[in-house]
Amino acid sequence: MKFASVSGLWALLVVAAMAGCGGGGGDGGGSTAPAPTLVSITVTPANASLEVGSTGQFTATGTFSDNSTQNLTGSASWSSSATAIATVSDDAASKGTVTAVSAGSAMISATVGTVAGSTVVNTSVAGVAANVMPVTVNGSLCAASSYLNKPCVSVTVCNPDLSACQTVNDILLDTGSFGLRIFRQAIPNLALSQVASGAGSLTGCVQFADGSSLWGPIQRAAVKLGNEPAVQVPIQVIDSSFGSLPLPCTNADPSPVSSGFAGILGVGVLVEDCGPGCVITPSNGVYYRCSGPICVGTTVALADQVQNPVARLPEDNNGLMVQLPSVPVGGVPSLDGSLVLGINTRTNNTPASPTVFPTDANGDIRTIFNSVNSVGFFDTGSNGLFFPNADPAVLPVCPPPNNDWYCPPVTRALLATNVGNPGSPTQIVPFNVSNFFTLVNSPNFVFSDIGGPSTFGFDWGLPFFMGKSVYFGIEGRTSNLGAGPYVAY
Amino acid sequence: MDLRRATTYLCVALTTLWLAPSAWATLGETADSIAKDSNALSAATRTTITRAKYAMQVMKSETTTVREYLTPAGVVFAVAWNGVTHPDLSVLLGCYHEEYRSASAEQQRVQGRRQKQVRSQRLVVESWGHMRNLQGRAYLPELVPEGVNLYEIR
Repeated sequence: MKFASVSGLWALLVVAAMAGCGGGGGDGGGSTAPAPTLVSITVTPANASLEVGSTGQFTATGTFSDNSTQNLTGSASWSSSATAIATVSDDAASKGTVTAVSAGSAMISATVGTVAGSTVVNTSVAGVAANVMPVTVNGSLCAASSYLNKPCVSVTVCNPDLSACQTVNDILLDTGSFGLRIFRQAIPNLALSQVASGAGSLTGCVQFADGSSLWGPIQRAAVKLGNEPAVQVPIQVIDSSFGSLPLPCTNADPSPVSSGFAGILGVGVLVEDCGPGCVITPSNGVYYRCSGPICVGTTVALADQVQNPVARLPEDNNGLMVQLPSVPVGGVPSLDGSLVLGINTRTNNTPASPTVFPTDANGDIRTIFNSVNSVGFFDTGSNGLFFPNADPAVLPVCPPPNNDWYCPPVTRALLATNVGNPGSPTQIVPFNVSNFFTLVNSPNFVFSDIGGPSTFGFDWGLPFFMGKSVYFGIEGRTSNLGAGPYVAY
Repeated sequence: MDLRRATTYLCVALTTLWLAPSAWATLGETADSIAKDSNALSAATRTTITRAKYAMQVMKSETTTVREYLTPAGVVFAVAWNGVTHPDLSVLLGCYHEEYRSASAEQQRVQGRRQKQVRSQRLVVESWGHMRNLQGRAYLPELVPEGVNLYEIR
């Protein structure tokens, strides 16, 4: 919520009133009732938003043991958890006046004696939409040695009480997973809050389809996406030295160099990384309870599972849009796009009239290519178009060790048909595949026309997103495009 | 080819004689190994589906489904899975696991990929997919019954 700045003058009056009350004391008149004591302090407005450079007046209200309340703004001692983001005045003439210094979130506290209360203030730069996160494909947000077609974003992770924050680049934008995972090496200055599992520490093992895995403790953090208010969510702190590695995570990545990213932001159409299966069975292979070096499988409530932080935003929580400019055949060196949070919640995320493909419970649709119908999914975390049933005369596979890619003699213009769940709508998607060697021997690093074979289904990787606005509707949420889960473009 | 097949059966014999009952090897083994699998994979339900050229045993847990494909003679020639995790391949591949492990170790990691294929002399192991729907299969090309399309193994 926004609020107008008000004069701090009245605060003086409060101070005067307090002084007037204070002298009277309990020593007169033989009253036997003890003086009411201060029990708690509430700071308002809660979760306020301020634009950088502007100020706002905060109020501290004390609740006493006799349930009476009193305005304590003028007598409280005021402080901010992050003065680089927002300051709060403790001068007698302007107590509780908050000034937004830079974009972020800070905790504003008011203390009287041993009683304290606090609230969060979210600050943003005027004229910059709070729900837009820049995406660079092999650009400034990616580490220097990144692999081709890698989309990167920047995420700010804070201690739950906002006492410290760290902004981390080289976070892989991934619509094929759910939740935020960051290497411990990338957030050395943070002290996040460990999620408990019985008497132990909740720890996660996530496997990927390439056989790699990530292991580490599940901790609560305040996560800031763009200039949205910080959301409190469980994230995975990737740390292969934590506890001991269970069987499914024996090859857990030890460092950003091995994974190819400092972290991964999973913003696909589902909310949790495991879902109901991990609520029911302890031998789920994903969640473990670690006590010292001993880690055993455990059940986990949905609320404690690592989850898509977009689903936890106060307003823009019904989905997101990935927007990338088009890329010509042959590629470009790098590409700037955006991740826009929310669907039809603001003027900048109102869809024209995309085709909406409801997905199944896994986030999948069907894709028909060369007359064969197989499972299809939309994944910014895959760096090419990977699909089965190609005619080797049209799309020969490159010789080893590059047999992950197609090597047609010339660029092939191809068509596939996407089919929503459970059978409509259908739409034809044109795409190109060029010779892998021709592409990678150019100075370019971002390609719309790169692909390789798959033996299962159609993986619409990053090239699919170029030149499109692709909407991901989160399960259990609705927008003008319908009820999630769906993908629309 | 006969030699390869002989090797396959030798593998079965070795497993049965030396490793049972602590190992639950199944690929290349006969159907009775499946009961052991369903314990090892903590499967909640088990069903059998018979098709023209093979039979399929399906083991379902809350988080992962494993399908084992049997030749008419009752030998497991392929396994396929999908779920939130890949199953323990040392269980499913049995005595082929070491062969898989060394072939996999030789393969270079390719970042940005959501799939993997490992081919060894007797075995093909493939995985694919995304979080909450990881898929995969392993099969012995030499034992796939004539007329079975690999597309059905998934």
